[in-house]
Amino acid sequence: MLRKLIFNHQRQQLKCLATKATLPKLVNLEPEHIEEAIKLEPALSVYTPELWRRAHETFQNHGLETVNFLRIVTANPKLLQRAPQRIVNSLEIWRACQFGEHLLHLLLTKYPELLDVNDAHRLLSLIAYLKSRVSTNKNVWKLLMNSPDLLEQSEQTIEEKLNYLFEIMRIEVPEIVKSSALSLPFEELRCRHTFLLRLGLFKPRALKADPNEPTTNNRLYQLTDTSEKSFATKICHVTLPEYEAFKELLARELERKTRKRKEDPFSDDDEED
Amino acid sequence: MLKIRNICMLQRRWKSGKRRWNVLQHKKNNCDRALDSFDDFYGSVYGGRWKNMRAALLTEHKYVAMVNNFGDTEQTCSMLEMDGAINIKSLIQLARERQESGEVGGGEGGELNLATRAHYDIDGKLDALVRKQEEREVAAIYPSSASEDGHVPPQQLKYDKETKKDELETETESTEFKQSLTRALEEDVQLDESRLVDPQFGTGGLYEYVPANRIKGMEDWVAESEHYKYYQTNVDFPLIIEPDATLQYPEHLAIYTYEMGNCADFKPPRQCLTGVLSHFLMDGASVLPPLFLQVQPGERVLDACAAPGGKSLLMLQTLHLDQLVCNDVQESRLNKLRHVMQEYLFDYKQRWAGKRLIFSHNDARNLDEYGSYDKILVDVPCTTDRHVLMHQDNNIFKPTRIKERLRIPELQAGILANCLRLLKPGGSLVYSTCSLSPVQNDGVVHMALQKVFTDHGITTRIKDLSQHTALLGDIYRFEQPKGLKYGQMVLPYLPANFGPMYFSKIMRDT
Repeated sequence: MLRKLIFNHQRQQLKCLATKATLPKLVNLEPEHIEEAIKLEPALSVYTPELWRRAHETFQNHGLETVNFLRIVTANPKLLQRAPQRIVNSLEIWRACQFGEHLLHLLLTKYPELLDVNDAHRLLSLIAYLKSRVSTNKNVWKLLMNSPDLLEQSEQTIEEKLNYLFEIMRIEVPEIVKSSALSLPFEELRCRHTFLLRLGLFKPRALKADPNEPTTNNRLYQLTDTSEKSFATKICHVTLPEYEAFKELLARELERKTRKRKEDPFSDDDEED
Repeated sequence: MLKIRNICMLQRRWKSGKRRWNVLQHKKNNCDRALDSFDDFYGSVYGGRWKNMRAALLTEHKYVAMVNNFGDTEQTCSMLEMDGAINIKSLIQLARERQESGEVGGGEGGELNLATRAHYDIDGKLDALVRKQEEREVAAIYPSSASEDGHVPPQQLKYDKETKKDELETETESTEFKQSLTRALEEDVQLDESRLVDPQFGTGGLYEYVPANRIKGMEDWVAESEHYKYYQTNVDFPLIIEPDATLQYPEHLAIYTYEMGNCADFKPPRQCLTGVLSHFLMDGASVLPPLFLQVQPGERVLDACAAPGGKSLLMLQTLHLDQLVCNDVQESRLNKLRHVMQEYLFDYKQRWAGKRLIFSHNDARNLDEYGSYDKILVDVPCTTDRHVLMHQDNNIFKPTRIKERLRIPELQAGILANCLRLLKPGGSLVYSTCSLSPVQNDGVVHMALQKVFTDHGITTRIKDLSQHTALLGDIYRFEQPKGLKYGQMVLPYLPANFGPMYFSKIMRDT
């Protein structure tokens, strides 16, 4: 993932700032930087140079380079009109998550929308919860790098997905943080996994199996970071109509099962799965 | 309903929840056993296609709705049409028109040719499977360390019957139609002469190494590989395969289905003015065997294994039948059948029971009204692939039923052979199973044809149904013709999740 990230990072750098890539380090905000940024994002043209200077200074004071600053504002133009104090507050909240300066900058550059955060309590409790499930700050950072929409999900939905990944799919933390499985809705995740199970392509690991032992299962990111079509054809090797029919049938089957359980909550049927 | 658990709470044994791996571990149940066995068997028969069938088998199946002609027929038809269902009759019509228009352009005889000169690669696959299974059984009994000691494990496990057969009646047995497992199990254990040490030559002989060739305590063991050996390929009976006459769809039969890819549900049947139910929901593939039997007006028909009654009811709904005899071996299943008939036939007591609809409670192998039926439907008991994967109760993969399961082909061939004798000369029957196993399908047809020829001199013709199935290609997914010898098969396929259903039409000549 990290390699992919750095690669992306470099590619973006080449793409939007091709002329400046050769320069050793950008310290000052030059007028041509602004011009180029406006070319990329026309919405930026309404702001005065003063606003530009002010925002740049704020970011620079907090250790973000001009390149990163330009990338952040092109993706999130409203930051320019925000009061410096509010930006600093958001940065402070993020800093409290203790990812380390460098990783934090990478995260914020990749997803500038994360700077809109202003509820410190909510963010910190979410990060603490994630840390309790994936054990290290770095893993939490990796999770956020792959699925930034975690911030908008409630703890229950994340819990449901994580429990499913850990207990039913028996997937270990390193694999989970390398995928964007948590961005998928729970139903979608369950549907993809059940489909593979029924095709016989996904063998659940034995409970006492050594976690380092290689599996023949597809990696989690192959399951979750693919479009429906490539999931069906490349991972499952079936046709798309088959997968679509399965989705419909499974939804109905599960609905029928829950209805039955509601009617007779004490029934003793040990269903498969 | 009152349940014990509702009244008194049982004490929980694990206070902090079940955590230990051996508690959490999923206990292997009958469905898992069935799935493992299918993975192994069908995986090697169908190769890469098995996983698609597997997913389809494990998912809900699709129904078709058969309209009851004794209820408010028109109302039911319009209700089903309003829901978007299509009458199979009109689909067949369309396919026929399309075929005719296509035939004008380019000849279509190639397909039939292909079917007849097909080479059956399934034979080779089954041979390989038997070998693999035997090796596995040998490995299970002879641990790998044995070979290091210099003992060479036998190529194949010989249980008592085979050892004896080989010694006593080497040639005669191999030409017989099959080795009966039942008989083999009942034979007494005999002393193995080659292992007796005569005391007059001293006890020195005792120290000589005598390799084991039989396993004590396993005399009644049935090896899984025996089951696959029912599939034989040598033909020594006259085999004629000819295309069946054109399909005549019964005029009064209305069966509704949704198009491929549409997984919608049908409304449940409702009570009609005449007091019967409006339509019958059944697996789409079960429609085909009675349809291809093509019952004509005034014929006497037998349904050899009738319960739960869907196929019998379909034959009654054609309104062609003169008399239908429904036979089943179990009283409970017969009662279920009676119940279905009462729900769907108007004026059941006065007009049907005992007159045009006769129930018989017999083993289909023991029916003896030879040469008296025009048509017979032989829907034999089988491993019911969909049922065993989904339901725990009445599951044939229960470990205690292993002998019953492995001997199923024998039972099926017995029923089919007897039913062939029940046919009038010139009459025809359809043999059907809801299993994917080539052993229970082509293997059984082969055994039965061979048996009736050698024992009773009955010659038969196989009717090739591939023209009919071509008409239904829009609704069902069929197995390619070259995989099967004597019949056609509906494969489970997710967008059209019918079947599995194998059927073969056989006509009696003499």
